[in-house]
Amino acid sequence: MSKLEIEISSLLLKEHFGDIVQKVGTVLLRKRQLPLGVIGKECGLKIDQVKKGLCSLIQHNMVTFELHKRGFVEYEIRTGVPLLLLRYPRYIYASKTLYGDAAELIIEEILHHGQINMSSVVDKVTNRLNEAMKVQKEAAISKDDVVSKFKALAETQFIKRCPEMSDSNENDSAIPKMEIDTERMYKVPRLNDAQIKSERENSSSQSNERKRKIPKDRSKSPEPPDAGIYWHLNFQRFHTLFRDQELISAVANKLDKEASEVLRSMLRIDVSDPASPVSQPLSSHEIYHQFPKNIKLTKQAMDQYLTLLTEDSTGFVRRVGDMGGGTYVIDYKDALKNLAVAHIECVVRERFGSKSLRIFRLLLMKKQLEQKQIEEFALIPAKEAKEMLYKMFEEDFVTVTEVSKTADHAPSRTFYLFSVNITQVSRKLLDQSFQALCRLIQRREYETKEHRRLLDKQQKVEAISASLTGADEEQRAEIEDTITPPEREQIDKVKNMTKKLEMSELQVDETIFILQMYLLYAKTT
Amino acid sequence: MAGRGRGRGRGTLSFSTESLGFGRGEALPTCILQPPPIYPTLEFHPVPLLGGERQAYMLALKQEFRNTMRESPHFIQAEEKKKDIERYSDKYQLGPQDNTINWEPDFSRLPKELRIKVRRSARKYKTNVKPNISTAKHKGAEDAKDIEKKLEALEKLEETKGDEEEDEEDKEKKKEGEDKGEEEPEEEDFYDEEELEEETDYNLNYFDNGEEIDEEDDNLDEGAIY
Amino acid sequence: MATNIKDEPMEVEQVEARILELCLGSVKGVTDQQLQTLIPNISPTQRVTAVNKLLQNGKIDLMKSGSQLVYKVKDPDSTSKVKGGDNQEKLVYQIIEESGNKGIWIRDIRWKSNLLLTQVNKILKSLESKKLIKAVKSVAASKKKVYMLFNLEPDRSVTGGAWYSDQDFEAEFVDILNQQCFKFLEQRLELAADMNVDPAARMNKAYATSLDITKYISELGISKVELSVEDIETILNTLIYDGKVEHTIMATATGQKKLYRAMRQITQSTGLMRTPCGVCPVFKDCKEGGIVSPSTCVYMKDWLDINF
Repeated sequence: MSKLEIEISSLLLKEHFGDIVQKVGTVLLRKRQLPLGVIGKECGLKIDQVKKGLCSLIQHNMVTFELHKRGFVEYEIRTGVPLLLLRYPRYIYASKTLYGDAAELIIEEILHHGQINMSSVVDKVTNRLNEAMKVQKEAAISKDDVVSKFKALAETQFIKRCPEMSDSNENDSAIPKMEIDTERMYKVPRLNDAQIKSERENSSSQSNERKRKIPKDRSKSPEPPDAGIYWHLNFQRFHTLFRDQELISAVANKLDKEASEVLRSMLRIDVSDPASPVSQPLSSHEIYHQFPKNIKLTKQAMDQYLTLLTEDSTGFVRRVGDMGGGTYVIDYKDALKNLAVAHIECVVRERFGSKSLRIFRLLLMKKQLEQKQIEEFALIPAKEAKEMLYKMFEEDFVTVTEVSKTADHAPSRTFYLFSVNITQVSRKLLDQSFQALCRLIQRREYETKEHRRLLDKQQKVEAISASLTGADEEQRAEIEDTITPPEREQIDKVKNMTKKLEMSELQVDETIFILQMYLLYAKTT
Repeated sequence: MAGRGRGRGRGTLSFSTESLGFGRGEALPTCILQPPPIYPTLEFHPVPLLGGERQAYMLALKQEFRNTMRESPHFIQAEEKKKDIERYSDKYQLGPQDNTINWEPDFSRLPKELRIKVRRSARKYKTNVKPNISTAKHKGAEDAKDIEKKLEALEKLEETKGDEEEDEEDKEKKKEGEDKGEEEPEEEDFYDEEELEEETDYNLNYFDNGEEIDEEDDNLDEGAIY
Repeated sequence: MATNIKDEPMEVEQVEARILELCLGSVKGVTDQQLQTLIPNISPTQRVTAVNKLLQNGKIDLMKSGSQLVYKVKDPDSTSKVKGGDNQEKLVYQIIEESGNKGIWIRDIRWKSNLLLTQVNKILKSLESKKLIKAVKSVAASKKKVYMLFNLEPDRSVTGGAWYSDQDFEAEFVDILNQQCFKFLEQRLELAADMNVDPAARMNKAYATSLDITKYISELGISKVELSVEDIETILNTLIYDGKVEHTIMATATGQKKLYRAMRQITQSTGLMRTPCGVCPVFKDCKEGGIVSPSTCVYMKDWLDINF
């Protein structure tokens, strides 16, 4: 993990979990694996603070532990996970678009808690939804609705069960043994024998036998029916979804909506491993079968779209055979490369200008060219072309190979061949995106710190004002007037800046996602 | 042979400028006599941010998530509170908290060495975070009066910026004091495992200062929500 | 043939004719050594006399080829043109003539003729004033001139083709053509998108041949010179490099047709470039606590001042 990635992870940990967790997490990111005592020494924290920090990190699936053969426990950070904090809003939003408001809240609750029982999630989400419904004076939502969304998320593997206590746990062991097999990983526990039913029983008094089983005499809340079964997010599944969304929107932009629907159907039926560079072969018949019925498209037209997709420069789809009315695969590796190239091209255009983009793309297409050839192909005057080329060279977008006719490498007898290395440019840009992200967060921290007092004051005023529901308007106005108009103006400005900076953080992450995905696929064979 | 005379006429340069890529007779760049500006004028400007509902919604989710996490017991700040201003909730402060945890993790799933005293009022939390923080808590009118006073004090503080330095000093002093405190042995801090096994439950009132205050109130001024 | 005349002593005229014949037979010219072996039955004196006579009469020339001296037949045409000129002038003229319509730089003339720069300059001036040669600015380097015979049409490599006027690259002209070609194709694409035909046909309707586009451009009347299909294809190629146009080749009865189509982008912009950091010229120097830093950044400030 790069220094920069550690720095951003550290900023994110601070923002979401406070400075203690930040310190513990950052030390682990640097050293990866450490025992409790060493963490304390390294961050200069009291041992209890470290313990609390570790509890939070473990709870949020960022730290795992292991028993060292010498008998002490070692804590290890899952390096990429703190960085994902930045992507949490995207996971939540994706769930909303897939399965609606209940799913949105389910994912949000799971992320708030790191790990949580299904029963508590369902309770919380149902309550939250119903609170909102009350405000809007709409009919209440039943727990069953929420349960069904939870099930849908588990079935489609967006959420999964955390490792569970194994039966073979010994009491005196320093760490608990935990495990989960793939079979159970997405299996939703039955809740109906307890809480959910019990609510219904309140109205209709049936199945009293079950009711009795619930221990009522305990002062504490009863043990949930799914105690010990915790859920968290399957980030990889979300990333596959994002990948698919990127491909679909690329095709929608490049070709048209229908073409993107054809691709969507293909993506829907592909069950290949997410790490595989190509999809399984998909026949035209299968694809047509999956095609949403609300979009009117004849089989013939769909086949034409398949042909257009295979011929298109996006290179997302390849025809591999004639069985089943034509067999096609989605080439994820190529697709991600072309997607990354498209984003890199945006960078070149916005940073160096559209003529430089012409040179850049020319080099991509022709692989290797001399300066003279570049001028001729691109129809750009020598002097200008030279400047653009060297500027891009300086920023590592373009590379040069020296081919010398003589051993002395005299410049007059040496060819300079220019070319573009996409993997290298992607790495560079990924690094720059992380840097940009880091600076956006730092700027936001700075703005917040600069206006801390004002923001604190405003928040208090708001809290008081809101608490005065019974009080008269005059009193409330009095409270609110403690913030002067110039102060209010300043507050609005800071809030607006914060919004703009945070919006940018989210959007920079989309560049990061594409580049990361491409680099991941570039490694596959 | 022919190369020898090439540089002639160029005067001062001892090498051929052509090897640098300048054509014959082409003007050489002029000398730079001053340092470049710290922030040179931008040649290109950033393109507009994407707008639209999706972006706006994600932004709202991001801000809400961040703020919710600040209210979460999983959010752990060092005990030394920055006393830059007197907070109206200070009177509810429960003394040193570094050695207790504000929520109750499922300790059975954690290494034994992580077991730490659970703060009494944290029992209510279990592993739950209060989801929506925006709803303000109800307070009596008395409290409101109190707040008004504090607000006035706060405003005064704002006006007299000179106080800040003093504040810094104060902080330093406080820190020193705390550091000293840290060295004192606090045996009772550690979780008693034997007791734990007997009880098979973590409902142990290790910590009770006699005050039963809703957890949420404590955290209300953790930081502004914006 | 050689055996027949072997023993008979040759007349001077015969020797002259034979030498001329040998020189005519070889474009590269004939060396003195070659003359010795090819006409073995004459004395060195005879050979020298004949060669001198031929040189005097302007029938052949003594030229340098690598490190050797060669005799070459003189172009009867050129002999007449530089009549009155001296031998140096003739030599320079010949060197220029050899370079054809690609021309030759003054440096290379000096090198080949082995004359001093001042001499070459004088000769060139004289030849130019007689309208025997002309100087043409080469597009290869802005300040570089090449010389060629007066009546020759300079090669494309010298003039740069249609995109050069007076040896200056007409960047603006190229840009206008680039934009116009794109506009044409873009309109095609939009028209095709609205057609109520099947998807494949809709895509195909967006294509135009390079001939179509050439006609369109010529009708626009933006070019003073007649642009060939090839010229327009070089412009269309720049659009392909721009990433705005894609092309395909279609086989027809008469050969191949090049088809071009405007292309929509996969993505309009990327997140990084929506932030000031994406375009920051001092990106590398930026560090919290440094002279350039996120909290003091003026680009960030200006950008944040704009409401969004």
